[in-house]
Amino acid sequence: MHKASRFFLILAVFALLLTGVSCKKSNTQKGKLYLYNWTYYTPDSLVQQFEEETGIDVVIDNFASNEEMFAKLMAGGNEGYDLIFPSSDYTAIMIKLGLLSELDHSLIPNLKYLSPLFKEKASYDPTFRYSVPYFLGSSGIAVNTERAPRDYERTWAIFADSRMAGSMSMLDDMREVMGAALKHLGYSGNSTDIDQLKQATDLINTQWKPNLVKFDSESFGKAFSRGEFVVVHAYPENVFAEISKEKWSTIDFFIPAEGGMMYIDNMVIPTGSKNKEAAHAFINFIHDPKHYAVFLDTFSLPPTTNTGASAYMKTTQPFFSIDDLSNSDNISDLGPDLELYNQLWQTIRYQP
Amino acid sequence: MKKTLKPREREQLLGTIYGGPMGLWFTIFFTVPLGIIILYSFMKRGLYGGVEWEFTLTAYKQMFNPSFAMVVIRTLWISVLSTFLCILIAIPCGYAMAKSKHQTFLLFLIIIPFWTNSLIRIYAWISILSTEGFINSLLIRLGLIDEGLKLIYNNGAVVLVLIYMYLPFAILPLFTTIDKFDFSLLDAARDLGATKLGSIVRVMFPNIKSGLSTAFIFTFIPIFGAYTVPLLVGGKDSTMIGNIIVDQVSKTRNWPLASAFSMILTLISLIGVFWMLYNGKREQMQKEGGLKKTTQQALEHNVKAHHTHRGTK
Repeated sequence: MHKASRFFLILAVFALLLTGVSCKKSNTQKGKLYLYNWTYYTPDSLVQQFEEETGIDVVIDNFASNEEMFAKLMAGGNEGYDLIFPSSDYTAIMIKLGLLSELDHSLIPNLKYLSPLFKEKASYDPTFRYSVPYFLGSSGIAVNTERAPRDYERTWAIFADSRMAGSMSMLDDMREVMGAALKHLGYSGNSTDIDQLKQATDLINTQWKPNLVKFDSESFGKAFSRGEFVVVHAYPENVFAEISKEKWSTIDFFIPAEGGMMYIDNMVIPTGSKNKEAAHAFINFIHDPKHYAVFLDTFSLPPTTNTGASAYMKTTQPFFSIDDLSNSDNISDLGPDLELYNQLWQTIRYQP
Repeated sequence: MKKTLKPREREQLLGTIYGGPMGLWFTIFFTVPLGIIILYSFMKRGLYGGVEWEFTLTAYKQMFNPSFAMVVIRTLWISVLSTFLCILIAIPCGYAMAKSKHQTFLLFLIIIPFWTNSLIRIYAWISILSTEGFINSLLIRLGLIDEGLKLIYNNGAVVLVLIYMYLPFAILPLFTTIDKFDFSLLDAARDLGATKLGSIVRVMFPNIKSGLSTAFIFTFIPIFGAYTVPLLVGGKDSTMIGNIIVDQVSKTRNWPLASAFSMILTLISLIGVFWMLYNGKREQMQKEGGLKKTTQQALEHNVKAHHTHRGTK
């Protein structure tokens, strides 16, 4: 084992001892399925239904960031899970490092419901050899129409509008903000061209940042619902979750026409999985349109991923549709070039 | 034959046994993680987080860059200002508590906020300070302003909430030292011609020095490492060192740099602790020295006698 990770493992062991993560459920004949998913991303009702239908015990463990999940995996956790839900950049890393096992498509007939858009956007694994998309989401711009001037621009240029200075926020995330500026300038959101990146940084520093009240990834939803922030660069589910449904019509959420940054969360089976059959069964279960609709309804998400689900959904007013994303770029892993972004992002975030 | 221990040996053995669990606790959960941080700060960063097993000073070199310098300077002025204000507010509080007849009740009041999670208290401040919040709606209702003031998402809000969060840590040590302070010395100073303020500054302050330095350490160190307050009530330019550490671990995957910044925080805390220990020792030595000189005691005795004499007149 990697020397450096050994220290981490020791810590992890102690953490496990302390928190007692190990779940004590009775063993059934069909075995257990260990899921490792984001917090608030697996509907309990679906898990229960899956357990009843298949007789497989599902044990869920949660993570709050890709980095957390990955660190645990590298510390030897690869053996502990059967199904993991990383974002696409980390999916690419895990494929590169050979941590994932190949999928048996004959066990996942519901793959046919996946949106054809993935062939183009999921460039890290377009044929779903190692990963099946769980959900495709996107950040965008939410505007409080009761407080914003009527003729605001429905593009990224809204952040250059000084009439709303001091009441606009952007995500505290370098890939999202730099990506937005790059898209606005007509470049790829994953550009590694230093000139393009510098132009994007200039745009943010000279035109957008003076109008922003802060870079916020934590509580923009709350501030927006209070009316404190009028325009927010946001993930729609975080904004709408804070606002009662009657008021949803007063919010204009859009993905700028020039395109934005989107993300794909995937389901992957690590090589160390001991119950690959159950993992395949769960992937297939989720992508049954009826079940997928329950997932979308539970978290008020738009039907971007599974083409059959919208027919079964209760939510009638999705925040955006898959067509809005045609110009958007999927946040991809940049490897060592991430450092270029990092250097420029520091001038945006740390220098007044 | 049963081996009998001398009482003194027995005591020493018992002391070791009693101290054992705590020693073990600190070794495992304090020293070992700290050792890992020190180690990691001298390693090469792993491309996908973690570190590569190779000695390098890159992390420390990366710290010397204008962006980080701005953050360090900001962290310093915010910490110094908040600590100074904390102590300034805490001195009269401690004084009032020491003089009060309801000490237990007042202590209880100071401890109450700790029953609530600190994040919830920060969110409470957000609803007090926000444009539609408590203060603004009160001022609008009183007709003093027409439009909500921008009270939140700036460095002023950060300082205010930091003072609120760490004020109890300044009040408690100051209260205990002021409580032990012999207030008749103040009367003596007044009798000898000092003004009210002069007697407090020149007689009381030197006597509560240990409380002042403890209060300073207890507030400055946690404020210097603050992370949630600038994140939640700060604005676009409120980043502090604590936020850099989190960003480096969770966003840019540069663990060695995060470790190097943690080292800076730890070093500054250590300097503070050693300064406190040194101060405490010096004070003790002064006290012991003072006791030998019976003249000072005699003087104090005389002053007291003079005072009581005058009082009964």
